[in-house]
Amino acid sequence: MTIEDCYNTLYLSVTIGMLILVGAMVIRSIIGPRITDRILSINMLGTMVICTIAILSQYLGESYLVDVALIYAMISFATVLILAIMFLPVKPKEPKFPGFTLKNGQAAGKEAEK
Amino acid sequence: MIFEWIRFFIVAALLIAALISFASAVFGAYRFGFVMNRMHSAGIGDTLGIFFIVTALCIASGFNMDTLKLLLLIFFMWFTSPVSTHFLGQVEYYTNPDLSKHVQRIGGMLGDEKTEAELKKKPDKEAEDGAD
Repeated sequence: MTIEDCYNTLYLSVTIGMLILVGAMVIRSIIGPRITDRILSINMLGTMVICTIAILSQYLGESYLVDVALIYAMISFATVLILAIMFLPVKPKEPKFPGFTLKNGQAAGKEAEK
Repeated sequence: MIFEWIRFFIVAALLIAALISFASAVFGAYRFGFVMNRMHSAGIGDTLGIFFIVTALCIASGFNMDTLKLLLLIFFMWFTSPVSTHFLGQVEYYTNPDLSKHVQRIGGMLGDEKTEAELKKKPDKEAEDGAD
């Protein structure tokens, strides 16, 4: 058994393990009770797919697959960001702290109120 | 030849460590009952898992153009993972009606009428004390 066979077996077994974890995350995204559970599961799934693509680029000896992984990372980030912004309220409630209040979008202290 | 085998065992150990960290992330996603706990376990896979994978592949391939691309990948993932987690936390905070069952906020939760009344009362009291 040469070292090439050992590397191929290692990459293949790690890829199969990642495939099982990706399947588990797909099930998690289906049964997630709220929308944030689903978005978070898709985020973790994207990370695992990126790692799988990076391993496959070594396994197949194709260096362009690393570029695919980079693009996948950017698209995964954009997906999470756009979904999160979509489900945020348009104008979130202003946080009210005991020391100061928000007036005209700027923080005004007690002295400014007087 | 012996150095090749040493390199192989280092790569194998790093890849198995990555697999274990991803498995712990998935285990946490099933084990925890609330999104903000699940974000914690998702962070393990986003940072530690991808670090082990990229380090293993850099050692396996040697120094070439792929190494720089993989380092760019790890740089990108380490900067974007906290941003997406922060946005998800914001969505959860502003849209979950049953948030006070799971988390506590110092100074009271937003939208809770009782604590908001207390917060309104408190600055006035301090102002009166100052006037006296």
